[in-house]
Amino acid sequence: MAVRLLAKLRVPEIRNVANFSSAAAPATLSDFDVQHKTPVIRKQQLIPKAQYGGRHAVTMLPGGGIGPECMGYVREIFKYVGAPVDFEVVDIDPTMDNDDDVQYAITTIKRNGVGIKGNIETKSEAAYVTSRNVALRNELDMYAYVLNCKSYPGVVTRHKDIDVCIIRQNTEGEYAMLEHESVNGVIESMKVVTASNSLRVARFAFEYAKRNGRKKVTTVHKANIMKLSDGLFLETSRRLAKEYPDIEHNDMIIDNCCMQLVAKPHQFDVMLMTNLYGSIVSNVVCGLLGGAGLLSGRNYGDHYAVFEPGTRNTGTAIAGKNVANPVAMINASIDMLEHLGHHFHADLIRRAVNKTINVDRVMTSDVGGTASSTDVVNAIIGNIGRC
Amino acid sequence: MSLINRTLFRTLVQGTQHVKALHTSSVNAEKNVCYAPISAMQPNANKEGRIKCTLIPGDGVGPELVYAVQEVFKAANIPVDFESFFFSEVNPTLSAPLEDVVNSVAKNKICIKGILATPDFSHTGELQTLNMKLRNALDLYANVVHVKSLPNVKCRHHDVDCIIIREQTEGEYSALEHESVPGVVECLKIITAAKSERIAKFAFDYAVKMGRKKVTAVHKANIMKLGDGLFLRSCEQMAKLYPRIEFEKMIVDNCTMQMVSNPNQFDVMVTPNLYGNIVDNLASGLVGGAGVVAGASYSAECAVFEQGARHIFSGAVGKNIANPTAMLLCSANLLAHVNLHNYSKMIKNAINKVLKDGKVRTKDLGGQSTTKDFTFAVIHSLA
Repeated sequence: MAVRLLAKLRVPEIRNVANFSSAAAPATLSDFDVQHKTPVIRKQQLIPKAQYGGRHAVTMLPGGGIGPECMGYVREIFKYVGAPVDFEVVDIDPTMDNDDDVQYAITTIKRNGVGIKGNIETKSEAAYVTSRNVALRNELDMYAYVLNCKSYPGVVTRHKDIDVCIIRQNTEGEYAMLEHESVNGVIESMKVVTASNSLRVARFAFEYAKRNGRKKVTTVHKANIMKLSDGLFLETSRRLAKEYPDIEHNDMIIDNCCMQLVAKPHQFDVMLMTNLYGSIVSNVVCGLLGGAGLLSGRNYGDHYAVFEPGTRNTGTAIAGKNVANPVAMINASIDMLEHLGHHFHADLIRRAVNKTINVDRVMTSDVGGTASSTDVVNAIIGNIGRC
Repeated sequence: MSLINRTLFRTLVQGTQHVKALHTSSVNAEKNVCYAPISAMQPNANKEGRIKCTLIPGDGVGPELVYAVQEVFKAANIPVDFESFFFSEVNPTLSAPLEDVVNSVAKNKICIKGILATPDFSHTGELQTLNMKLRNALDLYANVVHVKSLPNVKCRHHDVDCIIIREQTEGEYSALEHESVPGVVECLKIITAAKSERIAKFAFDYAVKMGRKKVTAVHKANIMKLGDGLFLRSCEQMAKLYPRIEFEKMIVDNCTMQMVSNPNQFDVMVTPNLYGNIVDNLASGLVGGAGVVAGASYSAECAVFEQGARHIFSGAVGKNIANPTAMLLCSANLLAHVNLHNYSKMIKNAINKVLKDGKVRTKDLGGQSTTKDFTFAVIHSLA
């Protein structure tokens, strides 16, 4: 097995790998299956943009837990600033065992091009029901996840002025969802790393660093143990780094990385990593900055973009209690406005959020404040256009 | 005098509303949607927080109707400024250059437009009309006409409520005609997959946005198997992306018959250029004529609001008898488009109230009132 993989590694043409695996997929599989069993770059059919008379249509997936209430706040704020966005709300029933709702949600994002989502619950534990969040990302081929972590001066934390950007491979690795029991009592879970996907996300990271004036890219891996899979990922990013001489590139092993993050987070600039490590590291950094309620993440594919709160927590326990921190979802909506090119409105909301947290210090209890969710939203609305 | 009092009073009331709005604190209440800050936040607004809108009065009764809109805006104290252009094909010497108008609309993103008259024979030998030039320059590819029965307007059918979406940059309006041999004229009808898909997607997205259930594609693919066939295929393709919206197709001749016999079966209709024009006018006739149906044209970036059925009504010029309802509805739609929903509702409610009362009716609705009477009645009903 290892020999075969090694042989594959030496193949210089990365493009062929994708073609090879898609050709190998049996014709009986549905599109959805193919995506899950063979994580390859899929050719997406281009659909005209949903922009009419300067207004954009955007899919809104409230998801479970605090999602619906947070979406309510976002709509409130959008209504107030008059953002030229029309939401198409798709509710996904978490108790359903079939994927109809999820498929519909994916279709709406395909035709709108842009979505904003809370965390979607997958209540069913049946093996054949895949995680909806993963299904969504895979189906839309959103291979890069970007989490911009910047400290809010108003939130008291152990470290000040952190400014890290985490870029995570979003569709393969440990999330390939290929598990089987080969003999009784032995489960094997496959971690899939492909050269093509590694290259795409590495290029994304370096391009992102270049465009945003960042200085350094750190590749996070565990290539000392997983020499082939993480080795491929690391090798790809090293190779690509040569194309960007202006940007410093180093690598770090995941365990060390976590330690460094909590001890000296300021050494990091842009961080590039595979799927599971990304999940862990982004939660570590979110914790450093004040918890799940502040940051927002962005999922990018070649054609679609989906915006969501950074840590992907559902927050079922605090749903409906008016204590959830609405800032994460509001930040996601700001990201979305910027992606759509409505910088004017995005800027208005961003300034209001910053003033509310840093100057007025109106915050929910999770980041050391006393205000309720609605208080925070009201404070933000009150600050819009006045700062 | 009473009118002045009224306007003055309203201005004061609105002033207090502004102040109130600044201090509202509840999140979920409607009152949160205040007037002044919203308009101040439009990117195309100027310093005083007013929105700029291009205005093309057009030919025929256009200027009179546009004047009615301006009167109502003034009375309601709506923060919209008009950038007016005289634009006309029948009066080429006075007309503003096309580029100026296009630049203005592209800059302001919104425009309200009267109807432009098009002479039957071109003076310059050009085949494209000014209307078509404007549409092509701005890429206003989608025309939306919402045909809706109005209260107390007596018609043969009741509760008609359908949206007709028309592709208006290609098809029969390609302006490609030639005489290959004397006595034989060929007119090219162009259908492209890209534009057909675009209009189909527009129609479905519009249906989703308005919460509609069904989209009907109108075609004549049984005769024009390739051209209309492509249009129809594009619509079918797009329909697959909208599993929760019913899709059906109808041949244009049958469609017109169904429209006059049972118009309530239609919800959203998507049509190529010429069929759309015909169905628009037919449907407008069902609910009271050209004077009561509003429409709009969209490109990706801008929106032009104009009457649904394009008739200049030149017989009524200066007689003060044209019905301003359509133009006022257009202006209300324009306000909703730029997020001034409260003003939009205010104007719509006022129009409905005047129509419901039925005391002030213009000639086309069987009354004797003038354009001005109607406008003032609407102003008096603003609340």
